[in-house]
Amino acid sequence: MMGKEKADKGDDIMRRIMIQRDLCMGCLNCGLACMAEHNEKGKSIYDLDLEDLKNESRNHIGLDKERRPVPIFCRHCDEPECVYTCMSGAMTKDNETGKVAYDENKCASCFMCVMACSYGVLKPDDVGKKVVVKCDMCMDREMPRCVENCPTGCLYIEGGNQA
Amino acid sequence: MYVCKSADKRLESYIAGKEVETSFNRVDHQKIKCGFGQQGVCCRLCANGPCRITPKSPKGVCGATADTIVARNFLRAVASGAACYLHVVENTARNLKAVGERKGKIKGEKVLHDLALLFGIDSEDVYEKAIKVAEKVLQDLYKARSEKMELVEKMAYKPRLEKWKALNILPGGAKSEVFDAIVKTSTNLSSDPVDMLLHSLNLGISTGLYGLTLTNLLNDVMLGEPVIRKASVGLKVIDENYINIMITGHQHSVIAHLQDRLTDEDMKKTAEEAGGKGFRLVGCTCVGQDLQLRGEHYQEVFSGHAGNNFTSETVISTGAIDLIVSEFNCTLPGIEPIANEFMVDMICLDDVAKKSNAEHIPFTMDRDEEISEYIIEKALNSYKNRRSKVVLDIPKDHGHDDVITGVSEKSLKEFLGNTWKPLLDLIAEGKIKGVAAVVGCSNLTALGHDVFTVELTKELIKRDIIVLSAGCSSGGLENVGLMSPKAAAFAGDNLRVVCEALGIPPVLNFGPCLAIGRLEIVATELAEALNIDIPQLPLVLSAPQWLEEQALADGAFGLALGLPLHLAIPPFITGSKLVTEVLTEKLPELTGGRLILEDEPAKAAEVLEEIILDRRKGLGLI
Repeated sequence: MMGKEKADKGDDIMRRIMIQRDLCMGCLNCGLACMAEHNEKGKSIYDLDLEDLKNESRNHIGLDKERRPVPIFCRHCDEPECVYTCMSGAMTKDNETGKVAYDENKCASCFMCVMACSYGVLKPDDVGKKVVVKCDMCMDREMPRCVENCPTGCLYIEGGNQA
Repeated sequence: MYVCKSADKRLESYIAGKEVETSFNRVDHQKIKCGFGQQGVCCRLCANGPCRITPKSPKGVCGATADTIVARNFLRAVASGAACYLHVVENTARNLKAVGERKGKIKGEKVLHDLALLFGIDSEDVYEKAIKVAEKVLQDLYKARSEKMELVEKMAYKPRLEKWKALNILPGGAKSEVFDAIVKTSTNLSSDPVDMLLHSLNLGISTGLYGLTLTNLLNDVMLGEPVIRKASVGLKVIDENYINIMITGHQHSVIAHLQDRLTDEDMKKTAEEAGGKGFRLVGCTCVGQDLQLRGEHYQEVFSGHAGNNFTSETVISTGAIDLIVSEFNCTLPGIEPIANEFMVDMICLDDVAKKSNAEHIPFTMDRDEEISEYIIEKALNSYKNRRSKVVLDIPKDHGHDDVITGVSEKSLKEFLGNTWKPLLDLIAEGKIKGVAAVVGCSNLTALGHDVFTVELTKELIKRDIIVLSAGCSSGGLENVGLMSPKAAAFAGDNLRVVCEALGIPPVLNFGPCLAIGRLEIVATELAEALNIDIPQLPLVLSAPQWLEEQALADGAFGLALGLPLHLAIPPFITGSKLVTEVLTEKLPELTGGRLILEDEPAKAAEVLEEIILDRRKGLGLI
């Protein structure tokens, strides 16, 4: 797949989910993968309640003005506005891994990060409007589940050890 | 190349050593599944769609909820599955009628007599009886939806019949019921999930009683009844010294004339002139299981059953198949390029299974002689043309020579001394804890080819639960040796002793998926013998590796009969809480049946064993 070739850049750059947007067909499998992976009731697709607003994807697919699908994913930015604007220390950048992490226990729900996010990806959760819905790169999972679940190769991993 | 795991290790290694692309290779490229499809919440019924249910979009554009979308998709699938089996019984009945009209071969007079008696047909002449029995079946199939089918009353177990009446699920004309199921599930028609689930059960009844049970019995009339015997299975049954015709499908009566013709003395000569020892039919898919089941009646022409649905591609890649004759599913599109590569001509006898590279010769009974001659000539020419140009590679170490086959509701009872008492006694004594029917298809996704089926079966027999199998599941189970008497070694101590004493395997081979109907006759007769209703029996059903829509229609019959039905992969329903709840929790109060979804073999066996133990308790057994 195209993504794999591009990912061969070595590990001198931060590990990041990359998007080859012309390959996106809007199937929403990335969103389902994200919801399933972060579902308290279990990680199987069959455990996912698709009518429960508590299940929220941390990525989404928008449409551009030609109505072509556009995957919107957290970039774990090198210059993360969400971290710069966070007053409580909930948002942190790990310079080793490149990951921008969010700690909901430290969050004061001011949502400055939501307003500051350059990509419009961050948002308050729909049910409680208290925590920020934020990509965690699936924590310790070898491969983020959205990437694994993308049928077209639109999503791929670049940098890091590409595990 | 990636190769899918199989419970059949020799098959797996054979495929791995070949350059021929099969489903075993392709399954890896399809491993990413659409979650909406898996949960059944994608709707493609109109141009506002496809709509998919998510927490942020809980309704389709039209307002359809997850419950409506799932129920519609499910009923459509069941209707398609029912249609397939009804097509088979319709053709079978038409064939029987034609045989009667021309006073052709009736090999199962006893079955015909029993059916005539059951249907209230008063006639002395065997051919007239055949015509009238066939007509009764056809008349029911063609009734309007408002007219109830007559034979349901005559065939169904009385307590079940009452239950079905109470639930208002007695089917009208079977084809009309399928027709209106399609109407019901079209754009902006029914939105009532419960009504659609009841309609699914209604279709289950006509599938079970007509599509399965009657197809078996009408075929027994024409082709002869199953007789218990020992047989060879696996790729080893293919003998390169013969001119080999591989059959795929589900309609045994369509090849009735061919199999008889091939036993004629002049056929041997014809083959010998071309360099072969004779002609052989190589069994594959369910019609192969059917050939095996009735194999007693044409031993010299049937080479044996080579394998189930997902073995068919491999059968061709042995190079020793000279012609493929297909008449129904499971004729995989994947066989086409392999047939081309190995220069195997394909003939299709029923356009519902038309393969793009096959020649379509529509079968009708009045042309059977002519069609047989054509098939034979094609096979002969293909043999002469291709054998010097292809490489033969038959793994002669694949399969078994001691598979017990020919088990049916009648032959089994006969084996037990024309009574179910010995079996019931063994159950009462606890030597056999209960009965599990492990049936249906094979797929490549429930842990691998036949992997779930074999693991679950091993778990069950270890727990002293005897397993009966029908469908591609039996094709897998026999090829790994579980249907040979030596498999008693895998059973729990109590069941092992029983098997060893009787010389039977712990897994009994009823043959094709159609024979799920035979298993259900066994269930009914056991209940009858104990004077209880079917849901009280220590008997469970599992279609662990269900593949297709037909399996869902079979399953709907199991649920209507009141049987617990286990599936390893959910039938695209989990997106609806209501549908899932009705099928997995509410159904026990309705029909006594229950859907069990469990994707680990050991856990599934545990759940099924618990049900059996619970049923035993209900009957006052320890």
